[in-house]
Amino acid sequence: MSLRTFILGLSASFGIAWLTIIVVPFLKMRDLAPVQLSEATDGATGIFFPKRTGRVADGARVYAENGCYLCHTQLIRPTYAGNDLYREDWAGLKADADRGDTRRETTAYDFFGEKFAQIGISRMGPDLSNLARRVETIYAVGKDPSQWLFAHLYNPRNEPKRWKSTCPSFRFMFDEQAIKGNRSADALPFGGDENTELVPNSDAKALVSYLMSMKKDQAVPVSLNFSPLKKAK
Amino acid sequence: MSSANPTTADQDALLRAGIDRSLRHPVMFFLTSGAAWLAVSIVLGIIASAKVHSPGFLSGCGCFTYGRVFPAHINAFIYGWGFQATFAVIIWLMARLSRKECTAAGLILTAGHVWNFGVLAGLLGILSGNGTGMPWLEFPAFTWPVLLVSYFAILIWSFIQFRVRPEGHVYISQWYLLAAMIWFPWIFITVNTLLHCIPGHPLMAAGINAWYKSALMFLYFTPVALGTAYYLAPKVTGRPVYSYTLAKLGFWSLAIIAPWAGMQKLAGAPIPYFLPYLGAAATVMLFVPAIAAAINLLRTMMASPEILSASPSLRFTSAGIGGLILLGIAAVFLNLPDSTLPMTQFSMSGYGFEILTLYGFFSFVMFGAVYFIVPRVTRREWLSRRLIKMHFLLSIYGIISVAMFALLGGLEQGIGQEDWRQPWEAAATRAYPYALGTTLAWCVILFSNVFFFFHLTLMWLRLGRRSSHPTLLAVTHSHASPHGEEGDIDNAGPGHAPAH
Repeated sequence: MSLRTFILGLSASFGIAWLTIIVVPFLKMRDLAPVQLSEATDGATGIFFPKRTGRVADGARVYAENGCYLCHTQLIRPTYAGNDLYREDWAGLKADADRGDTRRETTAYDFFGEKFAQIGISRMGPDLSNLARRVETIYAVGKDPSQWLFAHLYNPRNEPKRWKSTCPSFRFMFDEQAIKGNRSADALPFGGDENTELVPNSDAKALVSYLMSMKKDQAVPVSLNFSPLKKAK
Repeated sequence: MSSANPTTADQDALLRAGIDRSLRHPVMFFLTSGAAWLAVSIVLGIIASAKVHSPGFLSGCGCFTYGRVFPAHINAFIYGWGFQATFAVIIWLMARLSRKECTAAGLILTAGHVWNFGVLAGLLGILSGNGTGMPWLEFPAFTWPVLLVSYFAILIWSFIQFRVRPEGHVYISQWYLLAAMIWFPWIFITVNTLLHCIPGHPLMAAGINAWYKSALMFLYFTPVALGTAYYLAPKVTGRPVYSYTLAKLGFWSLAIIAPWAGMQKLAGAPIPYFLPYLGAAATVMLFVPAIAAAINLLRTMMASPEILSASPSLRFTSAGIGGLILLGIAAVFLNLPDSTLPMTQFSMSGYGFEILTLYGFFSFVMFGAVYFIVPRVTRREWLSRRLIKMHFLLSIYGIISVAMFALLGGLEQGIGQEDWRQPWEAAATRAYPYALGTTLAWCVILFSNVFFFFHLTLMWLRLGRRSSHPTLLAVTHSHASPHGEEGDIDNAGPGHAPAH
């Protein structure tokens, strides 16, 4: 076999796969079109193109730089690929006060505003697709959810029942500063002394803002909804 | 290589000595700096692994948070040790097999320094909190053109040597090395362009990243390791490769199957469904090239059992081939879409699989090559068979432990993750003891490599034995010297082991 034939063979065996699973899907997925809603099935008109609020791009950067994706995923798999949907508070909430069962699988629209979908590589910690829902309705009942997240980032083992958590502490994202007048609104409820307080720095604020945008359980159009019809209560 | 005509044999010996001399500095530079990065990577690996079960360890400072230390560990391993080991092996093997002296040693050395600078800058970038957050590509984006340019400057000469070689046989090793040299830049340019330069869908970016990890393992590190093994096995034993047909089957099945693998890590994600399941099927099918190459190489080596047991190169290489067999089996059992894939997709077993590939298979073959190449380029023999044995035994013990803890712990963890009736904490509790075991096993690997680093440093300082008789592992009582009788001046030919 000549070198030319050999290189052609290598290029063909690699190039076909390269085109089929990398280049063409990349180009096809590049511009994801909004979904047209239909009055008959969705009960609404217009388009489905959910936006997220908060400092998503900044927060995603902090999330990436500090390797959160090593232990946390952002992917609710359909039931043929895993049991994520069955958990009561991962894919949404099993019993939301207003909306009932909001659980659904991740859609391609859920990563709006991010360059790279941090679907994660391992689950040492729980999935974060609907973290903000859990914080608001389960973890921080009657408290400010952002405040709860700041305290949790400072020390994930802060609450006695979380003593087993192996999540690292992100105390390097908090500064100790002198209190001038009133305490800062963001200050942690612990730490510091009479004259000083612990406040989150801009990275921590961006990260918490991003985490508070983790509410990937809004209703999706019928064309994206693969869940069986839920029984009316 | 041996010839009936003594003048040709002498010319051959001179040519080999000339090639070795022309490559002494680049090869030793890549091996020693690669070994130094290996040390850095293992220390970072121990720190990262300890944090998985003891989150308070070194938690005060941002640069030592788990999310930075772990990427630093794996990137130092890949770009610091892995790539530099491949550079040393490729430039040396391609020169030897093409029978051409290297004429660009200065440029290769310069490019090697640039590569090391790129790796250092990338690692500092990760530790200072400027990583990209894309697994195995965490180095800040400015480093990839630096690495790519130095890659070309280092390896283009080997390609040229191949083009201008005297007509002759193309060895199996050369198929694999040429393939790796061509595939890697293609992969690296594609992935970095699509992730850094052209905006695309974030999920597809994650898919491409998963493909990159698999492609780097199976289209770069695997062919380089197999090319090296296909050189060492016949060379050291002095026997022909067991089956040429099997070698062809192994090579072309790898070339056809491996490019499709990798995206099974996105099973269940909203990307086109065929991508993850094609990836799972391809990864399962990697069993074929793995077993074809493994059988062929083991049969070749086992044709001379006494050399296999005496040669340090073959001992490491055969252990690496053992790792390849385990890898082929693990590829099947971890990626079955209906049973194990949901459990292994997000568990420690992914890490176990990667470490098995990178250390249990690839690095072992590279160690085998180091024990073969260094005496030739330095014209000194390894000092101590005991240091080599310690390196081997502890490395084997460490890698089997890491791989088993992570693979089996990952399955255990996956069972916990999938059991949705139990609270989430149950899955973490199941993984805990295995994480502890992984840390201990990394400590053993570090300990084993202390012997390697020490020995390699002595060789680098040219403090090796001034004998041309190789350091063998077997103690043969028939010789007066523990290292065997003094051999001839040319230590490069096949018949090194005493010709019984």
